[in-house]
Amino acid sequence: MRRTARLRDAMLGAAGTLGVLLVWEAVARSGAVSPAVFPPPSVAIPEALRRVPPGELWQHVSASLLRIVWGFCLGAGPGILVGVASGWYRTLGVLVRPVIELVRPIPPLAWIPMAIIWFGLGEPSKVFVIVLAAFFPVFTNTYKGMVGIDPLLLRAAQTMGLSGPQLLLRVAVPAALPDIATGLRVGWGLSFGILVAAELIAAEQGMGFLIMHARLLGEVSVIIFGILLIGATNLVTDACLAGVIRRWLGRWHAT
Amino acid sequence: MRPSGKTSAEGGARAGGPSRTGSRWLGVAFLGGLVLLWQLGSLAGLLKPFYFPPPSRLATAFWELAREGFPEGIRIGTHMAVTLGRIAEGYLLALGVAIPLGILIGWVPVLDRLTLPLITFARSVATLSLLPLVIVWFGAGELSKVLLIAYGCFWVMLTNVIASVKYIDPLLIRAARTLETDGLGIFRRVVLPAALPRMFAGARVALGVGFMVIVGAEMIGTIRGLGALIMEARTYYRSDISVVGMVVIGVLGFTISAGLERLERLLLPWNRGLESVRR
Repeated sequence: MRRTARLRDAMLGAAGTLGVLLVWEAVARSGAVSPAVFPPPSVAIPEALRRVPPGELWQHVSASLLRIVWGFCLGAGPGILVGVASGWYRTLGVLVRPVIELVRPIPPLAWIPMAIIWFGLGEPSKVFVIVLAAFFPVFTNTYKGMVGIDPLLLRAAQTMGLSGPQLLLRVAVPAALPDIATGLRVGWGLSFGILVAAELIAAEQGMGFLIMHARLLGEVSVIIFGILLIGATNLVTDACLAGVIRRWLGRWHAT
Repeated sequence: MRPSGKTSAEGGARAGGPSRTGSRWLGVAFLGGLVLLWQLGSLAGLLKPFYFPPPSRLATAFWELAREGFPEGIRIGTHMAVTLGRIAEGYLLALGVAIPLGILIGWVPVLDRLTLPLITFARSVATLSLLPLVIVWFGAGELSKVLLIAYGCFWVMLTNVIASVKYIDPLLIRAARTLETDGLGIFRRVVLPAALPRMFAGARVALGVGFMVIVGAEMIGTIRGLGALIMEARTYYRSDISVVGMVVIGVLGFTISAGLERLERLLLPWNRGLESVRR
């Protein structure tokens, strides 16, 4: 019963997607717009694959992934640490939070000029911007999770003799995990968007560079393919992250 | 009770730390101390002004931007107006399409199933990755920037509107059906009020996306707007102006988002009750 419902949903979803692709194909072939500017998918994708050989494509994808993994880890790690610490030690929270709340509304991309001044045009400036994109959502959600822990949970653990770091690490942090997980997902999505933008502005490799370079050469098919590739990469990596989080959360929280 | 008061009351019960007003002053004092250190460090020559322009330098840069303008005499007010105008156009365009479409998709399950993979995918496409494509299609002018903002805001808003209608407690609708036969009445008096809080949340997130996207969109093909100002200042080695631009856009984003939150409380008084019950 449930399986057939799921199958039906998947079929409907596939039908909807196919429908849009067909409309795209039909409009592009109708001749209303020049195919050089608006190629049909049946032409664009093979042509893009011909212009960018798989080896080169993989180079761009891996360059992007490497950047985002670095930036994300360097942003999310401190985000969790600072979030947990400032949620647990109230004085620290009082001191640190206004500073963070003040910096947080500045869009990560607005840091690019300063990042270039501080770190030069190379990799570190791009990674820095991604670090910022990952840090703030992870921090905010972690802090929210820590402050929102049911006090009963902590008191119960205290009556059972837990205190100090043990109370923090064995009760409080696991209790805040769902919020931390939310922060990680949000942070990943944001990092991804920022990554591509940073690569548009200054890079010699990466998916953002691929499409920006294709614009200079006037290869619309490569641009379209690149956009689809970026979307797919984001989707796949986000699903992986969600899977990892679900397994990891499952140790404490029934889902 | 306001939610913010609640969380700190809980924290206070646990740690028995400083009182609320006391802690606020402590935070402000710490912040002030950091700014002072920054200024002093710069005066002492520890922080190079080009790398970390000191607060005094930022103040004069702001003054210069307000009076003479940069680049080419474009004043800060103009930059702000241009950026806000672009965001407003893209944002309203996105909301105008996403709200009716989202209600329709959320209300008709078949439509929801048909569009789900497409919407998920479209959301995953990083908005700024469309930049090269919109430049090819529409040129590097205003339209491209507005469309990019609209794209980013649209999918966030659409998914929230769909969810807001889709996840209404079916009991509410069934109860309304037994009391009222008119479908439009149910929609207006049950569906809409139940869906509005989530729509509002979506609208707030979407605005944040708009502010995120505008900076990237303005970094190419224009010298007007805050994103352009920030980027342009770097090529003139005016890091102080870059930082002023960052601060201005941060303050704008924060103010507008806080304003929307206020508006939400004012317009949706029933939501406040729900939120305090759920926690």
